[in-house]
Amino acid sequence: MIMKQKLLEIRDRALSELGSMRNLDALEKFRVEYLGKKGHITSLMKNLGNIAKEERPVFGKLANDVKDEITAFLEKIIAEFKGKEEGGEKIDITLPGKRPLRGHLHPINQVNDEICRILVRMGYTIVKGPNVELDYYNFEALNMPKDHPARDMQDTFYVSKNVVLRTHTSPMQIRVMEKQKPPVSIIAPGKVYRSDSDVSHTPMFHQVEGLLVDKGVTFGDLKGTLTSFVHQMFGSDINLRFRPSFFPFTEPSAEVDIQCVICRGKGCRTCSFSGWQEILGSGMVDPAVYGFVDYDPEIYSGFAFGLGIERITMLKYGIDDIQLLFKNDMRFLKQF
Amino acid sequence: MKLSLNWLKEYVDINITPQELAHILTMAGLEVEALEKIGDIHDKIIVAKVLSVRKHPKADRLSLCDVDTGFSTVQVVCGATNMKAGDLVPMALPGTELRGGIQIKESKLRGEFSGGMLMAEDELGLTDNHAGLMILPSELEVGRTLSDAINPLDWFYEINITPNRPDCASVIGIAREVAALTGQKLKLPDVQYREEGVPISEVARVDVVDPEGCPRYAAGMIQDVSILPSPFWMRYRLFVSGVRSINNIVDISNYVLLETGQPLHTFDYNQLEEHRIVVARAEQGDKFFTLDGQERTLNSEHLMICDGKKPVGIAGIMGGLNSEITDNSSNILIESAYFNPVTIRRGAKSVGISSEASYRFERGIDIEGVTYALKRALSLSLELAGGKINRGLIDLYPKKIEPPVIDLRVDKTNNFLGAEIPKSEMTSWLKALSMDVTEKDLNTLKVIPPTYRVDIAREIDLVEEIARMHGYDCIPETFPAIRPSDKADMPSLVLHDRACDILAGAGFSEIITFSFISPESANLLQAGENCPLRQFVKLINPLTTEQSVMRTSLLPGLLSIVKENISHGEQNLKLFEWGEVFFREDSNELPNERVMVAGVITGNYTSKKWHNETRPVDFYDIKGAVEVLLESIGLSNFTFERRISGESYDKNISCNICCGETILGTMGKIAKEVLDGYEIKTGALFCF
Repeated sequence: MIMKQKLLEIRDRALSELGSMRNLDALEKFRVEYLGKKGHITSLMKNLGNIAKEERPVFGKLANDVKDEITAFLEKIIAEFKGKEEGGEKIDITLPGKRPLRGHLHPINQVNDEICRILVRMGYTIVKGPNVELDYYNFEALNMPKDHPARDMQDTFYVSKNVVLRTHTSPMQIRVMEKQKPPVSIIAPGKVYRSDSDVSHTPMFHQVEGLLVDKGVTFGDLKGTLTSFVHQMFGSDINLRFRPSFFPFTEPSAEVDIQCVICRGKGCRTCSFSGWQEILGSGMVDPAVYGFVDYDPEIYSGFAFGLGIERITMLKYGIDDIQLLFKNDMRFLKQF
Repeated sequence: MKLSLNWLKEYVDINITPQELAHILTMAGLEVEALEKIGDIHDKIIVAKVLSVRKHPKADRLSLCDVDTGFSTVQVVCGATNMKAGDLVPMALPGTELRGGIQIKESKLRGEFSGGMLMAEDELGLTDNHAGLMILPSELEVGRTLSDAINPLDWFYEINITPNRPDCASVIGIAREVAALTGQKLKLPDVQYREEGVPISEVARVDVVDPEGCPRYAAGMIQDVSILPSPFWMRYRLFVSGVRSINNIVDISNYVLLETGQPLHTFDYNQLEEHRIVVARAEQGDKFFTLDGQERTLNSEHLMICDGKKPVGIAGIMGGLNSEITDNSSNILIESAYFNPVTIRRGAKSVGISSEASYRFERGIDIEGVTYALKRALSLSLELAGGKINRGLIDLYPKKIEPPVIDLRVDKTNNFLGAEIPKSEMTSWLKALSMDVTEKDLNTLKVIPPTYRVDIAREIDLVEEIARMHGYDCIPETFPAIRPSDKADMPSLVLHDRACDILAGAGFSEIITFSFISPESANLLQAGENCPLRQFVKLINPLTTEQSVMRTSLLPGLLSIVKENISHGEQNLKLFEWGEVFFREDSNELPNERVMVAGVITGNYTSKKWHNETRPVDFYDIKGAVEVLLESIGLSNFTFERRISGESYDKNISCNICCGETILGTMGKIAKEVLDGYEIKTGALFCF
C-alpha cells in the first residue's frame, strides 16, 4: 500500500516538475533523476521484493505504466523544446553570404565569345592575324589599289608608306586564302584601328570577319547564314533586311540592318529615326580578290562578312556611349 | 549628296510619297541618311504688296511699311531697307509660328504698331540670303500663300553615294535610277539655243599637251553677258545642295555640275592671255595661287590649265585667283573636260584640296556627257545673263573611249545568286538601266553599259545590278554545307579562354585598353636607355601624342586604369588585361607582336564585410595569383628567380617568373617612382 502510494506520489511530482522545465539540460537531469539507473522509479522497483507475492504483478504493471507515462510526457516536452530551438531565430538568414570574390570578363570579350560560339557551331574555324599590317593585305589585295577613292572610306593610321594599323579584319581573308586551297570557312576576330574619335567612334575597336569559299556557295547562302546569326544573337523575332551597298572586295555587296532594338522599328534617337540599325557588312567575294590568291572564280564562289563588336555590345546591353567600353571603370565592368 | 525633291521631279515623274521614295532609293543602294521637309510654313506666309515706306519716328534703323495683304491694309515695322513701294514681299500674319518656335503677333515696336512680319529668304529657310527682304516676282497675286505662289512644299534628302556610283552624284543621275526603279521616263532638259556670236574657232584656241591626263577637252563661249545675281529658283536649288550663290555665270557652272555631274569651269575670256588655253603638266616646285587665296606648291603630277603665258587653274581641282569671273566680265569661256581620275586624285591629295569637281573626276565622270553639259551651261547663260553664244564648240577628243562589251551568262548568274530570275526579267532590268542588251545565245546576253556607268566593266558587275534591281529580299535564304574542320582548336585560343576564366574566377576583372600609348610611358616605367621597352613602333599620323606609339608593355594601360578607378573611390582593385604588345624590328617590315597577360592588385584583399576583418594585399597575393594562373594552363615547372635588371618594380620586392631558362615574365611591387609618375596616391600596387 505504501509502495503504491509512493509510486503515485513520484508520478505526480514528476509530471508537475516536467510542466515547469526550462531547458533541455534540466530535462536531461530530470530523466536521470527519475528514470535513470539510480532514479526514483528504478529504485522503487528494486524494492519489489518487499511487496506481497500476490500483489507484485499489479504493482509491477502500475510501475511500468507510471514509467511509460512519465517517459511519454518527458519526450513530448523534449520534442517541444527541440522544435522551438530549430525553428527559432538562432541564425539570421538575412545576413549577406560570405561571397567568394569573383572577377568579370570585359563585356566586349563576352560578346566576342558569344559571336564566335554561334559561328563556330555553324562550322567556322577561328584564326587570328597581326594588328600591324602591310598595305598589301589591308588594301591592295582587297581590290583597293593605291590612289583608289575607296580608301577614303577608312581613315588609316600609317606606320610607314607600306605598313598600316589594320583598318578592318578583312586582311585575314587574303592571309588565309593564300596559304590554302578551298574550301575555306574561317572567322577572324581582332582589334582594328581607324583615325576617328567622337561620340560614336574610338580609334581602336573590335571586329569579327567571316569567310566561306567553296564550290557552289550562293548569295542565298549568305542571306541564310546571316539571318540565322542575327536570330541567334538578338532573338528569333527581330526583323532584319539586306540592303545593297558597296565594298571594294565584295560584289554584290550588302549591309545587314536589324530592327532597332530600342524602339522596335518605330524610330528613335538611337537609330536616327530610321527604325533600323546597321550591324553587318557582307557580300560575295569579288573575283578580283581571287586573283590575288590564285583561286579560279569559275570554279569557286564565296561570301564574306564583317561585324563590329562594340556596336553589337552596345545594342545588346543598351549602352549609349562607346567610350564607356574603354574607360574600364569598375562600376561599369562589374555589371557584366 | 544633298537633293531637293522638287528639283528631282523636273527630270522624272514621281507618284509615290517622299518616304516611299526614300525607301526605294535606300533599298537600291542609295542610302537616304536624312529626310526633312522644307518650307512647311509656306502655306501660312502670304504675298503682300508694299504700298508705302516711311521712317520710324523713334528708331533710326526701322521703317514703317503699309502693306496690302489682299484683304486689308496693315502697318508693319521692318528693319530691312531694300524694299520700296510696289514691291511684293512675303509676310507672316499674326498667329503664325516660325521655325524655332517664334510666334508672330500684333505688337508695338518702339511705340509703333506692327501687324505681322515681313520675311527675308533665310528666315523662310530658303537660302542663306539675309541681305534684306525677299522681293517676290511682280506677277504674283497679292494675298496668295507662298506655297501656292512660288515654292510648293519641298523635301530635302541627304543621300550616301558609295564610291562606285559617281554617276549618282548628280540630280539627273539620281533621276535615272528612280526612272529605272519605278518604270518612269527620264526627262532631260532641252539644250537648243541660238548661236549668234563670232565662231569660237576664230577667237579662241585650245592645245592639250597631255592627252593622257586630259583625254577630252571641250570649250564654248558666250559674249557680252551681264553679271547679275541669279534668280530665286537657282539660288534656292544651290542653297539646298549646300553651294553658295555668287553670281549668275559662276552659279550656272555649279548648277550644271550638280545637275549633270559634269564639272565645268568658267574663265573671263578677256583675261586669258593670247585668248588661248593650254593643258599641260606643272613642273616640280611651281607655285600657284588658287581662288581661295592660298598658295599651293605643285609637282609634275599636277595637270594645269594655262593661258598663253601662265597657269590659270589646277585642272579638275580648283581655278586660280587670276582668271576669276568679276562683275565686269563680259565674255565668258566655259570649260567642260574629262580628266584622268588617277591624275586628279594624286594632284588633289598632294595639295590637300577636295572640291565638288575633284570628287567627281577622281571617281570617273561620263566622257560622253561632256558636250551636253557644256551646251546646257551655254543655254542657261543666255537665259540668265543675256549676250550672244559664239558659234560652234571646241572639242578635242582624239581617242574615243569605248564602253566595254560584256557577256552575261544567265545560268551562272542564277547559280551564283541562288535565284531563278528569267532571262526576260534580266533583260528588262538592264534595259531600264539604259544598257544595250542583245541575245548572244540562248543562255548569254551581250551587254554594253552606258558610258556614265564607270563601275560596270565585268560580268560580276552586271550580276550585282540584276540582284539589286530584282531585289535582295526576293532571293531565297538557303544554308551552305560547311565541311567540319579536321583540326583541333588552336592551342593559343584554348589557353586564352582557360586562363581568362581562371583569372576571373580568382577575382580579377578584365580591362581593355588601346594598343597605342605615349612614348613617355617608357620613362614613367623607369626603363633604361637600351631597354627593349623603348623599341616602339611609331605612328606617322597619330591622333594625339598620348597615342603615338604602339605599346611594348601592358603595364602603362593597367596603371592608368588603376589611377582612374582610384579617383572614383574604388580602392580595392584586381584587374588584368590580355593583349598584344609590339616591338619594332629593324630587320622586318612588320613588328614582333607578342601576346601578353598582365594583372594588378591594390588596396585590401577584400572589402570589409560583417563577417571578416580585412588586410592589405601583399607580394604573396600576387604570387598566388601567378601560381594559380600558370598551373591552370598546364605549366607546373615554373620557378621564381631574382631579377637582374630593375625597371618598374621595387628591387627587393619583385622577381622573374621562369620556366627553365626562359623568363616568362616579371612580378612584384611597383616601384614608388613609377607610382609617382602615374600620380597614383595609394598604398602598394602589385603587378604581374
